[in-house]
Amino acid sequence: MKRVSSFILPVVLVLAAVVFPLVLGPYPQTVARTVFKYMALALTWDMLFRSGQVSFGVAGFFGLGTYATVLLAVKAGFSFPLAMLLGAVIAAVFAYALGFLVLQLRGTYFSITTLALAEIFRVILRNWTSFSGGPEGIVLQQIVFGGQSKALYWLNLGVLLVVLLVSVWLENSKFHFALTSIRDNEVSAQTSGVNIFRTLLIVFTITAFLQGLVGAVDVVSYGYAMPDSAFDANYTLLPLAMVLLGGEHSTWGPVIGSVLLGVASEYLKLKIPYGHLLVYGVIIILVILFMPRGLLGFFRRKKGANRG
Amino acid sequence: MAKLTTKKLTKQFGGLVAVHDVSFSIVSGEILGIIGPNGAGKTTFINLISGIYAPTSGTIKFEGKDISVMPAHERAKIGIARTYQLIHPMEDLNLLENVMVGFLFAGNKSMKEARLAATELCTEMGLERLEREVSQLTMLEVKKMEIAHALANTPKVLFLDEIMAGLNTDETKEMIALVKRLARERNLAVGVVEHVMGVIRELTDRVIVLEAGEIIAEGPYEIVSKNKRVIEAYLGGATDAEN
Amino acid sequence: MASSKKAIPWIIAGAVGLVAILLWKPTVLIYGVQRAGLYAAIALPMGLAEGILHIVNLAHGELLMVAAYITYSLAQALGLDPLLALFPAMIAMAIVGYLLYQLTIRKALKGPELNQLILTFGIGIALSQIITLIYTSRTRKLHLDYVSSSLTIGQTSFGIWDFTFVALAILMTIGIRLFLSRTKLGKAAVAVGQNPRGAAIVGIDVQKTYSLVFTASVVLVGIAGSFFLTRQSIFPGVGSPFTMKSFSLIAMAGVGSISGVLYSSLALGIAEAIINGIPGMSGWSDIVFFLIIIITIAVRASRTRQS
Repeated sequence: MKRVSSFILPVVLVLAAVVFPLVLGPYPQTVARTVFKYMALALTWDMLFRSGQVSFGVAGFFGLGTYATVLLAVKAGFSFPLAMLLGAVIAAVFAYALGFLVLQLRGTYFSITTLALAEIFRVILRNWTSFSGGPEGIVLQQIVFGGQSKALYWLNLGVLLVVLLVSVWLENSKFHFALTSIRDNEVSAQTSGVNIFRTLLIVFTITAFLQGLVGAVDVVSYGYAMPDSAFDANYTLLPLAMVLLGGEHSTWGPVIGSVLLGVASEYLKLKIPYGHLLVYGVIIILVILFMPRGLLGFFRRKKGANRG
Repeated sequence: MAKLTTKKLTKQFGGLVAVHDVSFSIVSGEILGIIGPNGAGKTTFINLISGIYAPTSGTIKFEGKDISVMPAHERAKIGIARTYQLIHPMEDLNLLENVMVGFLFAGNKSMKEARLAATELCTEMGLERLEREVSQLTMLEVKKMEIAHALANTPKVLFLDEIMAGLNTDETKEMIALVKRLARERNLAVGVVEHVMGVIRELTDRVIVLEAGEIIAEGPYEIVSKNKRVIEAYLGGATDAEN
Repeated sequence: MASSKKAIPWIIAGAVGLVAILLWKPTVLIYGVQRAGLYAAIALPMGLAEGILHIVNLAHGELLMVAAYITYSLAQALGLDPLLALFPAMIAMAIVGYLLYQLTIRKALKGPELNQLILTFGIGIALSQIITLIYTSRTRKLHLDYVSSSLTIGQTSFGIWDFTFVALAILMTIGIRLFLSRTKLGKAAVAVGQNPRGAAIVGIDVQKTYSLVFTASVVLVGIAGSFFLTRQSIFPGVGSPFTMKSFSLIAMAGVGSISGVLYSSLALGIAEAIINGIPGMSGWSDIVFFLIIIITIAVRASRTRQS
């Protein structure tokens, strides 16, 4: 059983996050929303990464959620909540179906295939103009909650909390053992009864659902979907850098990494409009070479060394 | 009745036949030795039984049921377990957690039940301070953990692949006693792959000898060890050179 | 060989297909072959680094792009034709490749493969961002007369400069195969790729093999980059699709097969050209590539899983 003290900090942080817009104005709220978006994506990326698989397809399911939502709302007249939920479900369905193909693969083959998938989605939606509006995309008649900053903030926070709960659940349930054993020694996991394919399929589908949900929230918050922005490579790059920086295979790691990099990126975008993504590339390189377990791992080891 | 049998089990990798027409059986409570020179196909044989490889031809039956195409994780659930020659435990899990895996998945227990069962099993095996990381364990403890990890499947058949490798004389004696006790107490059918003949002599009721993927001899160790073909298989090149 | 018997129906189908294309739109075949040459020339260096040595390098496309930019700057600064600037560019790329290996990849090789994957992903980002900072994202193009040379056969008129890539690809294939089978370093590379520890035991300097062969592969992709510059407009993101495409071609050809890359490039180049040749479908040609790749990889993976 987890001790009460390990609950205090998260609860305090969540409360602070909820109260945040009552204290700070629209610009900080917008920055926070971006951080929440990337934090959610970083957490979902890490969830699959706990099995040892590197996905380069986060942008793909994010974009699917975006487009499914906007198409349901515009072409089928669904209300926003329903469109968002179904949009996420559609992303999950794609992941489930494609999973039968893609999850047979491991290592680099898997990663490259997820990258290719994301590209395929983008190219299809970009070219199928009659269906998706082509390169110009689709515009929503209205933004959710009329574009009210506080409401948008809480919506994003709500989705993030769902993602956080899923991440924590994975860490504390049988899935933790399944994913970790698959990562550490797949063969031994199998002969201990772990159904590897089913485990990966479940996680792949759940993370796709969540990524689609984040995409759905994004599109109703901004009011339009375009292929190049919905499937922006940043949605794959930044979460990866954030997890590596903060600390892999955990909930706290992506949280820390996304706050640090999310806030830093706002600052960097102003100071270096061109090439600020360089920082992410450099961070990835430095972390892999010198601090593969991220900040969390670095401090855990220090604490361990002091104790031992 | 035999717990596990194979009939004409064959595994071919491209042009290489690793295991050829192997038919054997093992009953509960018996400890079977599996010996043979390097490259004889012993580990491939265990991989076939545990489901890591699918057979090219031939059948495997467990408790009378054909499991030849059953996936590995399901074989774990019905009661087959094995250890690995190159021991590579789950490094991100601690000692106790490594043992919990089989209980959680092969045994389908809840987290709480698995933790309890794993603790009990570790204590029974003489392992303590179960929250330690794998890197902090001694060689003997790692081996015991490997066995516990396999036993967490609550198996009826257990294969130990060179589990004694790297242990000193006292540790080996302790392990032999442990394996004997486990086999009798749990009525396990145990297959033991070993290179040290002293261990085979002490531990096993019966032995099969593999060479180039085929069984060339079968029987109690005393008899098999005097078999001319077996001796040649082990000495191999030396005998040829003399001719 | 048993496998050539199985190939006969495919060869017949392929021949029939080619004749059909020639009758429909001959330029499709020509552009398909030319495009195949480009893809192959870019993928073959990866075939050397990844296929033989199993060094995963997601920055491959960015290295192509960097070489193109280096050639561009050298050509501008020295007033040279890019094909002459190719020579100093090769030296520059050798330095880039060697440093890249020694400073980063060498360390990542000690860990699990996904470290190389993520590391080189980051390197690719860093390289494209550095180029953006230096050159901005404005596209650059050199205007060269010989690039627009064309040939007319009967009713069909087509550009012939792009056949250079085909020649380049063929030369690379021959060169790499000779290197791997005839030279000491090449044979060492094959041994190291199959079993690094075993190679070390028989006395091969594994680190030297990795660093020199990796550098060689970077020089080769650099040559492709210099040629690329003659034909295409370049911008910082121009290289990145080629990473995935090269990887896919290697996977399709079978890891370790050098001449296989030529065949898979040919298949994909022509497939792409066919789609491009259908009116209104040109935007979809990228997908054909990815789809065929995914299917091939999946089929292959499911076949290995069964064993």
